[in-house]
Amino acid sequence: MGVFDWVRLIAGCAFLICGLVIFFTEIFGVFHFRYVLNRMHATAMGDTLGIASCMIGLIIFSGFNFTSLKLLLIVIFLWFASPVSSHVLARLEVATNENLTSHCKVYTDLETLEAELEEEKKEEENEMGGEEL
Amino acid sequence: MLYHYIYITILLILAVMLFACLARAIKGPRIADRLVSVNMMGTMVMVMIAVLALMLDEGYLIDVCLVYAMISFLSVVVLSKVYIGIYEEKRFKSENPDAGDEGGMSDGSI
Repeated sequence: MGVFDWVRLIAGCAFLICGLVIFFTEIFGVFHFRYVLNRMHATAMGDTLGIASCMIGLIIFSGFNFTSLKLLLIVIFLWFASPVSSHVLARLEVATNENLTSHCKVYTDLETLEAELEEEKKEEENEMGGEEL
Repeated sequence: MLYHYIYITILLILAVMLFACLARAIKGPRIADRLVSVNMMGTMVMVMIAVLALMLDEGYLIDVCLVYAMISFLSVVVLSKVYIGIYEEKRFKSENPDAGDEGGMSDGSI
């Protein structure tokens, strides 16, 4: 094998191992978190970054041909599809869970959320000012 | 030959991870948990099909992978909508039990 083949092998393996590590992190997050809306956060990473990393590794192995173009197409499709399916799943959870407020805060309108954020900002500024003085 | 061993190793690791996902899908306390882990399994199966396509040197398996991605996305969306519809219907029936079978379906807006 020439130098180019070795470089191709090492780069492809690096991307593939990176993708597998991200998949492992995804599974760890799914078992670690306690609630669906937290678990969704972990799985979204594998759906976009994990599969993209694996596919880039396979593209490097496969070389420049029509197969690698189709692999890239799968990644681009998943970048569009994954947020939509996460949104629909979160909507399912919020619509069917009757004691949602025991897991997370629910704001019925945007004004209360904005007012609360403003108060937190002011408190933080006061604390920062107190430390400087 | 070296590439063959690399592909076999990746497939084995992914298979072990797939069983972990299956455990989460069986264990998950709510329906959304199960759908999330089924979505995750779909992603891993896509990588497995792509690796197999390169290992067996069969380009058409990539098309299978693309179709699998679309069907996986569609199944998650459709199952979510169906479960929201079932839940609303059940709630409608428990709120007014003497009403007939009509009504109570969701309007289908995402």
